[in-house]
Order: sequence, then C-alpha cells, then structure tokens
Amino acid sequence: MIEDRYVELFEVVKAYPNPFGEAIKVVDGFNLMVKQGELVSVIGHSGCGKSTVLNMVAGLIPISSGGVIVAGREVTGPGPDRAVVFQAPCLLPWLTCYGNVMLGVKQVFPDASKAERQQMVEYSLCAVGLKDSMHKYPKEMSGGMQQRVGIARAIALRPKMLLLDEPFGRLDSLTRMELQEVILNILNFEKITTMMITHDPDEAVYMSDRICMMTNGPGAKVGEVMDIEFERPRDREEIMETSQFYEYRRRLLQFLDDCEKEKIARKKAKVG
Amino acid sequence: MAESTKDKIKYRILKTLDVSGFTAFDPVIRLIFGEEPQKQFAAIVKYLVIPAFFVLSCIWFWSWIGPRHKTKSGEVPTPDIVWESVQINDTIAEREKVKRSDFQLKGAEREAALEQVAREYEILSEEVKAAKALVAEKEAEKKAREEKLIAPLEAKYESLKSEYRDAAKARDAEIARISEEVSEGKLEASALIAAIRNDGIATDRERSELNSYKSRIDEIRSQKYKPLDQARKQYDSVADKQFFMKTRLEFLDDRNLYVKLDEAQSELNEYMAELSTAGSAKDALKIAKRAVRAEESVARLEGQEYASAVTIYHQTKRSIFTVFVGFFMAAFVAIPVGIMCGLNKIFMACMTPIISVFKPVSPVVWLLIFQIVVGAFFPDPENHALLNFLNNLPLISSLEINPALIFSACTVAMCAVWPALVNTALGVASIDQDHVNVARVLRLGFWSRLFKIVIPSALPLVFAGLRISLGVGWMVLIAAEALSSSDGLGKFVWDEYQNGSSLTFANIIMVCFVVGIIGFFLDRMMIILQRFVSFDGGGTSV
Repeated sequence: MIEDRYVELFEVVKAYPNPFGEAIKVVDGFNLMVKQGELVSVIGHSGCGKSTVLNMVAGLIPISSGGVIVAGREVTGPGPDRAVVFQAPCLLPWLTCYGNVMLGVKQVFPDASKAERQQMVEYSLCAVGLKDSMHKYPKEMSGGMQQRVGIARAIALRPKMLLLDEPFGRLDSLTRMELQEVILNILNFEKITTMMITHDPDEAVYMSDRICMMTNGPGAKVGEVMDIEFERPRDREEIMETSQFYEYRRRLLQFLDDCEKEKIARKKAKVG
Repeated sequence: MAESTKDKIKYRILKTLDVSGFTAFDPVIRLIFGEEPQKQFAAIVKYLVIPAFFVLSCIWFWSWIGPRHKTKSGEVPTPDIVWESVQINDTIAEREKVKRSDFQLKGAEREAALEQVAREYEILSEEVKAAKALVAEKEAEKKAREEKLIAPLEAKYESLKSEYRDAAKARDAEIARISEEVSEGKLEASALIAAIRNDGIATDRERSELNSYKSRIDEIRSQKYKPLDQARKQYDSVADKQFFMKTRLEFLDDRNLYVKLDEAQSELNEYMAELSTAGSAKDALKIAKRAVRAEESVARLEGQEYASAVTIYHQTKRSIFTVFVGFFMAAFVAIPVGIMCGLNKIFMACMTPIISVFKPVSPVVWLLIFQIVVGAFFPDPENHALLNFLNNLPLISSLEINPALIFSACTVAMCAVWPALVNTALGVASIDQDHVNVARVLRLGFWSRLFKIVIPSALPLVFAGLRISLGVGWMVLIAAEALSSSDGLGKFVWDEYQNGSSLTFANIIMVCFVVGIIGFFLDRMMIILQRFVSFDGGGTSV
C-alpha cells in the first residue's frame, strides 16, 4: 500500500498576497501520487508553477493549504530525506567537489566513521563520473561537471526522494544527454523515487515513468497524467525509433498547445 | 621539456604579479621570456614608459615650482633637498647605532676603538681647519667681487645723498622765505601751500631714488656665490663628522658603561678598604653610608641602557606597530558585530543609529575622549602591570609602550572599525540564496551554517572591509600620534614643525613620502590577503 502512495500531494495550494491583500493562487489544488521508485516528470509552460510545486515538496517554501506526504510523513520543512538538485549547481565555491559532497554526508551521517563517509562521497562522485576531478574547485570545472557534483551531492545523502528542478536547464544539448544518462544509470541502481521538473518533452518522455502535465497558472493544477510504458533500462536510440515515442510526444505537445490557446482565450476574454 | 619548465616559471611569476596587483609589469616578464616582443614593447611603452614619464615630469615640476614659492620656513624644498634629508636621517640612525655599540664596548676592544677614533678625530680636526680656512678665503673672495660691483653704486649713492641733502636745504630756505613774505602780506597764502606740497613731492622722489640704489646694493650682497656655498657645505659636513667623533670619544671614555662601572666599583672598594681601617665609630658610620651609596650607584649603572635619540626608523617601526594594534582591535570588534548585524535584522536596526552617528566623528575627538577615559586606567604609567608586562616582551620591548601609544591605537581602532563592520554586515546579509537553500536542505545547525556557509561566503567582502579599515587607520594614526605625542611618524612631523630647523620643511615632505609608501605596502598586503580568500578569483581594484 505504502509503495503505491509513497509520495502524495493532496489539494496543494500556493497563494501569494498581492499588494491589495487578495490572495493570488499560483497553484490551486494540485493532486498527485507517486509510487516508490518511480520517476515522475512535471511539465508545463514556464511560469505555470512547476518549480513552486517542487519547492513545496522540498519544504523550501511553505504550503498555503493541502499537504504533501513523503514516505508516510508530512512535509513541514526542508530536510535531507528530500535531496534537491537545483537548476544552478549551487556549489559552495570555497570547497572542492569532494568538500561539497562531504558537507552533506557529514551532516546526514554524523555517526558514520571517517572511512565510511569517505567511501560514500567517493562512491557518489564516481557514480556521476567525476572520479578524476574529485579535488577540483567548482570554478575549475564546466557547467556540466558542476551539475554532476550537484547530483552527486544529492544522491550521497541516500534520500527517500530526489527532486530535480530543471537540472539540465542551463546546459547545452550534448551535455544534457550525457547527464540524462548519468541520472538514469543511478536510478537503475538506487531506485530512488524522483520528481523532475522539465519543459523539454523529449526529455520527459525518455526519462519518466509518468508525466504530469500542468495547466497554465494562475490556479495551475494537474491537467493530465500520462503513463510511459517503456521498459527499463532504456536505450535512447531504440526508444527514438518506436512510433510510441512520437505518440507520447505528440500528446504532450498537444496538451501544451491547448494550454497556450486557452491562455490566449482567457486573456482576450479579460480584455474584452 | 625545457620549454615547459620555462613556461611554468613564467606563469608562476605572472601569477605572483597578478596576485600582488603589479600587473603593469606583466609585459616585462613576457618580454624577458620572448613572448611576442612587438606586442610587449607596445604594452611597456603604454603602461610603463608613459606613466614613468608622467611621474618624472611631476617631479620636475615640483623642483621647478619649489624655489619660486617663498614661505616663512624658507623655500619649498626641491626633490634633491628632500633626498638629502633622507640621507641625513639615515646617517643619524647609523650614528646612533655606532654610539650604542661604543657605549657597550669594554676591555681591550674599547681601548682599540678609542685609539682609532682618537686618530680619526685628529685627522678630521686637520680637515676642519683646512675647511674653515677655505671658507674664510672664499668669503674674502666673495667680498672682493662684491666690492668691485658695489663700489661705483655706493659712490653714486653717496653723491646723490649729499646732493639731495643740499637740495632739501635749499627748499627749506625757500619755504622760510615764502612764509616770511606771506606773513608780511607780499605773497598769497596759496603760494606757501604750493611750496610745501612741492617740497613733499621732491622729498619722496629723492628718497625712492636713494632706496632703489640701496636695494641694488643689497641685491648684489645677497647674491649667492657658489664656491663659498660649496666651501661652507664642505666645512659643515667635516665639522659634523668631527663632532660625531668627539661624541664617540666620550662614549668610549667617560660616558662608557664599563668605564663608569669600573669607577663606581673602585670607589666602592676604596670605601670598603677605608671602612676596615676606620679609627672611630663616627668615621665608620660616615664611610659606611658612602659605601652604601656607592653600592646603589653600581647597581643602577648595571641596569643602564644607552639612551638613544629617536630615529626615523624607530618612529616608523613604532607607527607600524601602533597601527596594527589598532587594526586588530578594530577587526576583533568589527567582525563578530558585523556578522551579528548581517544575521539579525533587529540587531542591525539597533546598530544602525550607533554606526551612523559615530562613523563620521573626527579622530581628534576620539583621541581626546580616549585620553580621558582610557587614561583613567593608567594613573601611574611607570608602575602599571600591563605596561610593564608588554615592555618586557622580547620583540616589542624596544618600542617602549606607553599610554600615548595606547590612546593612538584606540583612536585608530575607533576610526577603522566602521568600514570593516559595515562590509562584514553587507557580506553576511548578501549571502547567495542558493547557498542558503543548500544549508536548509541539509538542515545545518546554526554554528555549522555560520562557519561552513555564512563566513566563507562573506570572507571576500570582510577582507575588502579590513583593507579599507587598515587604510583609514594608517591615515588617522599620523594625526593621532601628532596630537598625543606618541612616538611615531606623526610625532616626528609635529616635532619638526615645532623645531623649525633648516631641515624642517624637507623632513616633513620626507615623512609625507614615507607615510605614503608604507600605506601603499600595507594596502598591497591586504590586497594579497583578499585575493587568497576570494574564491571567485576576481581582481581587486587598486
């Protein structure tokens, strides 16, 4: 039972007061259930409130009403059980890669021995392919490498849930594909429940088990949820050759297109 | 392989230049290593030769305009006079060192030194005599030259003087005649008025004529005669050396520590011997009292040190020490308070009025306040435990720490605390939100958030603030030392200003450069520190 409802978002609302005291609901009644080990993508137009949802799950911003439950426990604030990979790598520039990862490991596993901690850090850095650059400083590395450190830092915490906030948003397409592989490989081993924010339909289809499409804000909610029934581990080239892939992609784009049309109609109605 | 090690050396040097902020010399290094000579030459001309030329032209302008401005303390000294005063100050310091070692020489060494100095003194005495004769000769020469020029002028002056005297007499007689005629009614009164007026005009004209001759004569007299100046200079320098040798003789003989000790000791021994053969109880008492006094004087002499005159090096050392004491006091307060300000908005709101009101207060006011407030802690500076402790520490005992130094340091701290505090607060408050989020996700506790996230990310701004603080402190220090008469560069200029010797003006300008150059190096030091802690690798402004 708990496996099916490992993460549950129930009627989640985020409201910000405008200067006149009225509450503007950015996200209004967001419902989603995520199974254990599943990778769910949240896709939507920019500004629709995708990141707001993720930040509420992470606990970085307070939830106005409704609730988020992760592994049977309600979210009340940020914590290392929900590791976040931010859009920017957010590494501490005065620490090496190793130091950046170790900072979290030390905090989360205070009872582990020094050797154990070292092993954990080295393992996660190896997992993202940074075996040789462990002792480099962030400024000595490319954006893609920095983002790998960000991923390593998240998985080193052994989180119950991994939150990816457009992790490849700032990378070029080649690096993006590399990093997608990195994440998929890790998830194949670790089976961490993952929620990923993206605005790239190809990425969403290729990586996810389910795609949650969000309507446009304000008042954004789940528009449609689509299951992606490719077997894991997946092979990019193989999948790209199936017609199924294009069907999923078409449905996604159709939804996004409809959202956009609706938005324009709403605007027109407002003006009229 | 050789190529790569060469490149390595090159890049290491370039990196050093970059870190220390001397990037202007970058092309020189590249040129030495033969990298694109054409481009480097262009860069050297643009960023080294032209600036150097500009500085030289400033110095030239200074040496041109200086003598054209007459002041109460003489001419504005030219660069070469200032350089001379640098050398003189160096000589004074050098001689103090020699005198100190003379004072402490003993035994055969002392005798050998005494003999040698005596010999040198003899030679110098001869030289002084010769120099004196030369000066006399040149003076006579100058006088003869002047006489030749002045004699005709003087003759003319005298003849004009007598001529005018006669003319004045004649006019007086004329006026007397006219006045008589007026009184008799032969002439109108206006004629007498006109005569008197004309007499006044004539007298004025004659006087100015005479004065012009006189001033021409004076001008010739005041004209400099180079050989005489040179001879005088020569004499001064030799006489100065002779005087120094004389002082050395004193320090090697009568005023030498061990000579004095020996004397006191032998006196004591004498009394002791006398005491054993004393005839009466009364005599014995008298002698014993003397012996005790002699004993005391031996003990006093043993602890005696050479009382050195203050040299510019000593003053500089003391100033640097004082500024660092003040600077560390400021940093010690500013960094924790600044961090608290940055972390807590309420604390910041509490501190803002205090910072805003006290930041613009003049160092002079602070100094007066500290002299009263901190002065209360040192009612008896000679026997104060803290001062005695500090003055017995190995490295700083020679600096003779006194309350005046502490007041100056407090003033420096008070004025230097603000930039560091404000910058630290800014650095802590403007921490990257991303880094805060990382800390929140990891649920770092207060202390580890402070030491692992907040302080490292604020460090570049903290050091930028400390750099400004040190600059402000150094500037304030000179004024504080002048006012509190704490030995240091500030007191040095102030004393110079009060003394009014022939070197005063040059010494003051010399201190201006000394202060500037030390300030420059302090700033560079802070730049290097700042570069070491700044993780973004960005350059720092000069």
